[in-house]
Amino acid sequence: MTARVLMAAVIVMGGASARAQTAPLAPALPPAPDVAPAEEPEPINDSEGYTPPAEGAGAPSPLSIDGYIDVGFAKAQGDGTSFAPGDQSLPADYGVDTFAPAVNSRGEVASTSSNGRFVNGFLPRSAGIGGNASFLLNTLDVDLKYAPPAIPLMVFSRVQFLPRFTGAGDDTRVYVEQAFGRLVPFESQEFAISVGKFDSVFGIEYLDNEANIRTGVTPSLVARYTTGQSIGAKLFYRIQLEPLQSAVSLNVAATNSGNFVEALQPPDASLTGEPVGTGRLGYELNTRGIQAKLGASAMVGPRNDQALQAAHQTAYGFDARVAVAGLYLNAEYVHVDEGEGGPKTTSLGNFPVSSAFNARGGYVQLAYALPFSVGALHKLTVYGRYDRRHAWFEGFTPITVDRFTGGVRLDVWEAIILKAEYLDNRELSGAPTVANNVFTSSLVYSW
Amino acid sequence: MRAAVILGGAWLVVAAAPALAAPPGSEGRGWLGEEMPLPLAVRTPQDLAVKAAAEKQYLIFNLLAGGKLAWDSGDFATAAAKWEALLKIHPLDPELEKTIRPLAHEARAKAGGELGPAAELPPPTPPGGTTPAPPAPPATVTVSGTIAGGGPQGPGGAVIWLKRASGETPRPTPAHGKVITQRGKMFLPRVLVVPVGTKVAFRNDDPIFHNIFSLSKPNEFDTGLYKQGASYTETFRHPGAVQLLCNIHASMLGFVVVVDTPYYAEADGSGVFTIKGVPPGEYEAHVWHEAAAKPTVEHLSVGAGGLHGLALRVGGDRRPPQFLPDKSGKPRQSHLGY
Repeated sequence: MTARVLMAAVIVMGGASARAQTAPLAPALPPAPDVAPAEEPEPINDSEGYTPPAEGAGAPSPLSIDGYIDVGFAKAQGDGTSFAPGDQSLPADYGVDTFAPAVNSRGEVASTSSNGRFVNGFLPRSAGIGGNASFLLNTLDVDLKYAPPAIPLMVFSRVQFLPRFTGAGDDTRVYVEQAFGRLVPFESQEFAISVGKFDSVFGIEYLDNEANIRTGVTPSLVARYTTGQSIGAKLFYRIQLEPLQSAVSLNVAATNSGNFVEALQPPDASLTGEPVGTGRLGYELNTRGIQAKLGASAMVGPRNDQALQAAHQTAYGFDARVAVAGLYLNAEYVHVDEGEGGPKTTSLGNFPVSSAFNARGGYVQLAYALPFSVGALHKLTVYGRYDRRHAWFEGFTPITVDRFTGGVRLDVWEAIILKAEYLDNRELSGAPTVANNVFTSSLVYSW
Repeated sequence: MRAAVILGGAWLVVAAAPALAAPPGSEGRGWLGEEMPLPLAVRTPQDLAVKAAAEKQYLIFNLLAGGKLAWDSGDFATAAAKWEALLKIHPLDPELEKTIRPLAHEARAKAGGELGPAAELPPPTPPGGTTPAPPAPPATVTVSGTIAGGGPQGPGGAVIWLKRASGETPRPTPAHGKVITQRGKMFLPRVLVVPVGTKVAFRNDDPIFHNIFSLSKPNEFDTGLYKQGASYTETFRHPGAVQLLCNIHASMLGFVVVVDTPYYAEADGSGVFTIKGVPPGEYEAHVWHEAAAKPTVEHLSVGAGGLHGLALRVGGDRRPPQFLPDKSGKPRQSHLGY
């Protein structure tokens, strides 16, 4: 268009030249509406791109096998529990510490030694290292994913081999953490049905509750109430709100045991014959500069650590995640109530008492990832977390504890993660102060 | 004389004035419109493109109008010089060239001199045609061969490009009409090679939303959320492999490989490739594949007969990523489905 305008100008000028040499130059040119780029020839080596075939040679395998090995090194103060030596005053339900600090990514504690007193059974699992500095083989994880072409189905299993010291801790075992199929029946909807044993839908910590994906080493103080897997069915639905660069999602599940971790409730069998319902309503804001995800979760159903249907467990919570400029903020609050029930079963066996239990707690975690690309080292993340929990068995003194965790994570190549963190644990009220701080580290090989 | 006024920073308007008819040289003043660069602010790459385009058109106009003014004032040598300079500009509108070339000849003849070199080129227009024939291209040859490796999925999608071993590699011409669609929660094509400066349209053919982004510096981008039928265009200005991801669907993965050379190709499923238009000489061949931890680099000597049956190998030592990040860089477990 520009050339045409100029052409018009020269024609006008040329014409004027032929008519009269003294004629003034053509009047102002009209402003061009746009500057059109010059036409350029197509590159001689132009390519239409490559798409692998769906099946046959060169097609991506429908089966993928991944996993990781998590090796740790940890040292807990004292005897590895949070139980004050020589203190006989604690009630039966606290005969061993329920708040012992974790030493690894599974939330296992250094020790659950009860010093010979009555054990109720409300315990996490133990690595069995006591107060000794020790290497740990935390998890050998094998993930299998099968996604057949042309079928909107994905089958996933996660099997974990958990070597543990005998005696003070548990024996080595094989744990089927997840095994489910997920069907996406409608091409035009973000709607998925999963059936099998799967991750919790409560809160957000389950999203990165494995050693190869979690920012730090240890889970939060409330992870034991929110990150368990159980058997059942779940539905996921999400709708995008384009004008708002947002989405709203709903995740609901009916399972045998809800979302307590397997140390607290048997996750597989239903002991009551009645499912536990769980759900989370989420909101996401995904702009170019900031990502924010907010959610509200709830769980209701029978306690699955005992057999009475009337003994209910309820929980609700709120969560938030914000990511901006390399800074990640995660925060969660959880409110848990368990009604009194009959004899109960936990990871430690069968016990005659199933006390009512209540807990309120949460955490705030801040992490900053520096793009750190020097040779094999390609990311350095520093993080800090504050946890607080207030809990009590019905009729007993509430215990309030908190924890400061600070750590560093280094990503090396694409297959190695090195993490180290220090946990400063404090007994704020209801329990004697105990030396139970922990240094722990983790080397995760992904494969 | 007031010859040029900048309006809106985008275009110029030549205002007629009585003094304009006078020969610029006779007044001891230059043609004011010849003053460049134009005072257009450059804050963004788009600003720069606009400024460059405006200045090119400005130059064309100056030579065109300056020649005319010189002609009108009887200064045929100046008119011939300006129009001959105009004919050196490439590419020049053929219609404009057709008009100016005889005028330049006539001005040079009236000035009593020989035709300038620009007026001699390009060769005469063929009878009946309006577009001059392009100059004969330099002799080039073809480089072809097969790439092996690439891991379990084979070498399909390997990208090969040649850089001159010494001296500068010519800057490539951007490709046009490049489109990557999202269909069935996949990028189609999965791997696309483009020269620097190419615009690629990302089009959503799925009945659900997508949000395509890349964290591959310095080619990072973010389309934002967009629905079926909508598209987003991104210009890839820097060489390198660009990983394509979707913020909604944690399993989607694709690549744009941006090259700063006109000599490139993408291997088919068997690893076969052909690079055309390569001048003979010494080159470094770079081969990229998504399954290779780092590209292969090999020295090549391309003779007058080209290079055929070349056998190259690319690594297959890089496993598919276990987790793909969201656009904040946070890894996601794809089996969760969200």
